[in-house]
Amino acid sequence: MSEKLYAWLLRLYPSRFREAYGEEALQLVRDRCRDEQGFLPRLRLWLDLLGDLAVSLPRAYFDFRRELTSYAAHLRSEGGPPLLVLEEQSLGPGAWFFGGVLALATVISFSFLLNHGVKHVPLSALIRPARASAYHRSSSFRPRPPEPASDSQPPASAATSAEQREIVAPENKTTNDAQANVLRPPDGSHAFGQQGAQPRRAANALSVLAGAEFNRAERQRVVDQAAANLKKHYIDPVVAQKIAAALVAHEKNGDDDAATDGGAFADLLTRQMREVQPDTHLEVLFSEAPLPRRPPAPTAEFHARYRKALEQANCTFETVKVLPHNIGYLKLNSFPDPSLCRQTATRAMAALNNADAIVFDLRDNRGGYPGMVMLIAAYLFDHPEYMYNPRQDTTADSWTHSPVPGSRLADKPVYLLTSARTFSAAEHFSYDLKMLKRATLVGETTGGASDVGVFHRIDDHFGIGIREARAINPYAEPDWAGIGVKPDVNVKAGDALGTAVNLAETKLVKK
Amino acid sequence: MPKRKLVPLPLAAFQILLALAGEDLHGYGIMRHVAEQTDGRMRLGPGTLYSSIQTLVDAKLIEETEPREDARLGHERRRYYRLTSTGRKLARLEAERLRDLLRVARTRKILRGEYV
Repeated sequence: MSEKLYAWLLRLYPSRFREAYGEEALQLVRDRCRDEQGFLPRLRLWLDLLGDLAVSLPRAYFDFRRELTSYAAHLRSEGGPPLLVLEEQSLGPGAWFFGGVLALATVISFSFLLNHGVKHVPLSALIRPARASAYHRSSSFRPRPPEPASDSQPPASAATSAEQREIVAPENKTTNDAQANVLRPPDGSHAFGQQGAQPRRAANALSVLAGAEFNRAERQRVVDQAAANLKKHYIDPVVAQKIAAALVAHEKNGDDDAATDGGAFADLLTRQMREVQPDTHLEVLFSEAPLPRRPPAPTAEFHARYRKALEQANCTFETVKVLPHNIGYLKLNSFPDPSLCRQTATRAMAALNNADAIVFDLRDNRGGYPGMVMLIAAYLFDHPEYMYNPRQDTTADSWTHSPVPGSRLADKPVYLLTSARTFSAAEHFSYDLKMLKRATLVGETTGGASDVGVFHRIDDHFGIGIREARAINPYAEPDWAGIGVKPDVNVKAGDALGTAVNLAETKLVKK
Repeated sequence: MPKRKLVPLPLAAFQILLALAGEDLHGYGIMRHVAEQTDGRMRLGPGTLYSSIQTLVDAKLIEETEPREDARLGHERRRYYRLTSTGRKLARLEAERLRDLLRVARTRKILRGEYV
């Protein structure tokens, strides 16, 4: 047994050594095996053999190389040309052995990496990283079927689809937060956000791509289409006429000639429109990637996945607890679909019902459904309260269903924690509670998602966002579109909880 | 002329030369002699032993003799090795070098003892 094993190990030595002394080495092992019987001597024998292998094997190869070198030196000293002829030798078993081990390790590590947490990053994401700021503000428009399709639909359908939900802000896309990605609402909008848009206002790279064919005819077409869309969809037809006329006039005057790439051109048109009408919900968008003609309808499977992800994440009600001094704390990472999450929301609010103050942590909340905003806000009032939402026409649903039977929160101090990543529906919640002086906002200015218009496709690369909801903003200040909601107490997002708890405690002591 | 890599003489090579100083031996015999010489501390494994032998043969410090049987170990024919005069001279040189070293060690009071 030992001899056979050693015979195999012996094959690791260079062939020159094996030919000369292989048989003798084997004989020596045979002799020792015969003379050293018993467990301990045998163990010692093997320790000797392995130790010997470790020491002598490298030396055997090293010496071989040194001989070559000295041979070369010898040749040179003789004055002959320094040519070396290597004897052709097949790969030794040692080489096969180490090569095999290396290959095996590579295969194993690859399969490990593939199975564990290495997320697929599309090549395009590497080539053109999304520009966060421009992106937040622009890309969450609801896509709408292209013009011919919408013409055939009754105008009400657009309004209903608009009412259904707000869009989770596209921040999701730039993070690797898998959960947030799944939690994107299951309407067509995710498709737009993902493949479509990446609208960018100052994309230099695209002059290479789409901009190669960007010329006066293209600009004219975009301007004409934008004007047509404005006249058709803008809430105020008189203003629409003015804006459209301005766009066409600028184009005729050659004001647009300087814009040689799509992003700059879209920016320019947006500025021109806002010169006429300072409406932050009005903009022309450019997308480097071709815009889908018709957003793909969400599949049943997508709905099921969305529902399951929501269940697993407890409807994004991440933390519901009561802090010291009886301060209720709710960390809410989105405003989920009330038709799926009403129960979870009701339970969470019931758990905090006896708190003396309540802190809503919206620092990681990127938006969701206005229905959930209204549902939660209802607990905080003892009478129906108007919640302004620029995305919806003002209807009876714009008032909260307050008071909620059994709720004791209507007169309790409320604190909202915000961050630059607080978006969309969370901004809706923050803006209204701030304006109603119902909550103290602690943290950073929110993201400023301008997902308040309806998106109309102009061609493969251009689109126009037009605000179509007739919402009444009762406040003198503009809403959060593009600028965010400013906090009452400006602290870093990381310090917001501590600050809010201090404020709440002080307030409760005074009482 | 001994090869350069044998100056100073590697310990294993020196032990092999010492083992062969008394009589001609085969590989296993060398290994057992070396083990005895060193109170069992140095047990030359086959790889070290035969690569040392190879080097020593190449350097003409030892040479192979006619293969023959070792009566105590059965009927296999074994290759025997013999010390050459160069080998003997080199072993003596190495021993003298060590003796000088010992002398220094004694004057520095690192080593006590009667010998050398």
